[in-house]
Amino acid sequence: MKSIEDLDKLRQKLQQDMQVRQKEHDVKVTVSMGTCGIAAGAREVVQALLEELKEQGLSNVAITQTSCVGFCQNEPLLEVTKDSEKTVYVNIDQDKAREVVRKHLVQGQVIRDWTNPDTQAHRHEEEK
Amino acid sequence: MEDLSQHILDIAFNSIEAGATELTVMIQEDPNHNLFQFKVLDNGRGITPEEIPLILDPFYTTKKCKRVGIGVPLLREAVDRCGGRFEIKPSPLGRGTAVIATFPYHHLDRVPLGDITGTIITLIAGQPHLDLAYHHRRNNSCFDFSAGALRAQLQDIPLHTPEVLVWLKDYLNQKIAELRRETSEEH
Repeated sequence: MKSIEDLDKLRQKLQQDMQVRQKEHDVKVTVSMGTCGIAAGAREVVQALLEELKEQGLSNVAITQTSCVGFCQNEPLLEVTKDSEKTVYVNIDQDKAREVVRKHLVQGQVIRDWTNPDTQAHRHEEEK
Repeated sequence: MEDLSQHILDIAFNSIEAGATELTVMIQEDPNHNLFQFKVLDNGRGITPEEIPLILDPFYTTKKCKRVGIGVPLLREAVDRCGGRFEIKPSPLGRGTAVIATFPYHHLDRVPLGDITGTIITLIAGQPHLDLAYHHRRNNSCFDFSAGALRAQLQDIPLHTPEVLVWLKDYLNQKIAELRRETSEEH
């Protein structure tokens, strides 16, 4: 049974943890949340990310959201910004999102097979 | 869209893009009177009467990077499919916009509410400062949730901390299941 009292216990635990791991958010994970992203399962991806971040105890990751970026056919899209390097993962699902957390965020390995060269090139072009 | 909660998330994102800092999601389920209704109210920049017919057109969008805007037309189609009623109007709270979708509860083509908890969690995860209120009524019982109240209770721990949101997901799922259980025993 979950109750509001449980939340107080969780808060106390997190406050203790925070003293140990006082860290800035230095990794950003962005999920596209346009109509196309939502219809393709972006909401489920966000929930899988949250659960895996909790599992892995990662406190330095910020989840942000953006609207349609024009790659509707590749939704759900996930963009990871780590050490100023951006990686765009395409056609992500819940299992892939969890794997991105474990491989990319924990071990630092980019999963190239799930990235799309066209999308990457476009994103870099846009920033120029 | 597979469930109405996805439409709610999509409409809520329109609110956020319209600069909303406050968002109220209201759900009313009344099977005895064949009524299912949701409202999304915001305090964003609002909508003019001239804009209302435009946003029902899938080829109208305010965004420059794309040429279609299908979120609102998709919802209207989901409403029309079962002879419901769809309204967009200035919010009764003063500033902002209200989107109201009303369905016959028992219509075979009425999409289920689905994962409303996922919708709330997703909104909070990406919009940590959004003042979100959720009001869910089923028959004569209701469940209310406010992000502001939780923030106050959490003190210096941010509401969008993954551990907190995973807790919140279980909490909301349980409360909404209780609401359904209680009210199904009433008749």
